[in-house]
Amino acid sequence: MLLRGSGEYELQAVMDTTIDSGVEHGRLLGQLVDTIISRDWEQVATLREECVTVMGAQETVDAIAVASAFNGITRIADATGIPLDSGPAEATASMRSQLAINDFSYSEKSRKYDRVSV
Amino acid sequence: MDEQMGKSAQTKLFENCAYPVRQATIKEYVKVWERLSESGPFWSGHDRMAIIREARQSLECELCRRRLNALSPNAVAGEHDSVTDLPPIAIDVIHRIRTDPARMSKSVFDNALANGMTDNEYVELVGIVATSVVIDTLHQGLGLDVPETLPGSEAPPTGQEPPDVVDDGAWVRLAPRDGELNEVGIPRQANIIRAMGLVPAAIAFFFTVMRQAYYITNLPISISRSQAEFIAARVSALNQCFY
Repeated sequence: MLLRGSGEYELQAVMDTTIDSGVEHGRLLGQLVDTIISRDWEQVATLREECVTVMGAQETVDAIAVASAFNGITRIADATGIPLDSGPAEATASMRSQLAINDFSYSEKSRKYDRVSV
Repeated sequence: MDEQMGKSAQTKLFENCAYPVRQATIKEYVKVWERLSESGPFWSGHDRMAIIREARQSLECELCRRRLNALSPNAVAGEHDSVTDLPPIAIDVIHRIRTDPARMSKSVFDNALANGMTDNEYVELVGIVATSVVIDTLHQGLGLDVPETLPGSEAPPTGQEPPDVVDDGAWVRLAPRDGELNEVGIPRQANIIRAMGLVPAAIAFFFTVMRQAYYITNLPISISRSQAEFIAARVSALNQCFY
């Protein structure tokens, strides 16, 4: 997670939107992302206009483009069960534990869901 | 030449958009969209466009809705609401990737292979679904309808030279590591790129789209690195993506 390396930010805000991340316009960006991923297009329209007013039109397009790109790339990771890269795996060990990201590991998901069948 | 001109005339992405989508983005997305209508290594153009239509249909699928509400998606059986003639196992994989990526598990991959899909077909299919998710999400995020699918080529899949792949801890075989680090100390050949090593063409079209919005260095966009990383991390959290 390169957010760690891009400045001093509150990483818990990634998992808990009630926390201020310290990222400029982070709360608004977080709301925009949440509505995009939940496909609430009416609310996206409202937040998009708010972003244009606060950040600018190009910045808004770029923010939505980043969210769209990661909405795709997460599916590649999730469908192929790839392990973490060796460098980041070591560097993020405590953070993954702190944020409960280890619960998302593909072996943990497979253990959880594959023991159930019809 | 005529076929190419005809295709370009049909390819309308970001048409009448009220917001400033970068010209380079439009150009690259159109190129990928058209490439997806051509036959790939393991799926015909017809099938590749069908995979995109099926991914969209999954959002209206009753079985997928019931699975989303279940403690485990594997606890709910039934038939998907489908709009294509793709094999049932392909339809199941597509619907799961599109509607419930957070709960993809190894049994989905194993079940696909057990039901006749090859790992090559699986990887190309994953790349097509993921690419269409990027393109559709950006359109809808900007208040646009998703782009119409093109008439896909009926030519048989092209096949490919066997790529160099290794077993390295993922469900699928990966492209080998090259041992090099990039500017920020992360393996240049990150596992997310190696994940589609079985089908190099799928790496090419997905990352052509991806790189319009995100790159590990020299971001080609106007928001800050920290804003982009915050958005990326939030999307990953919502999709419960471990990687």
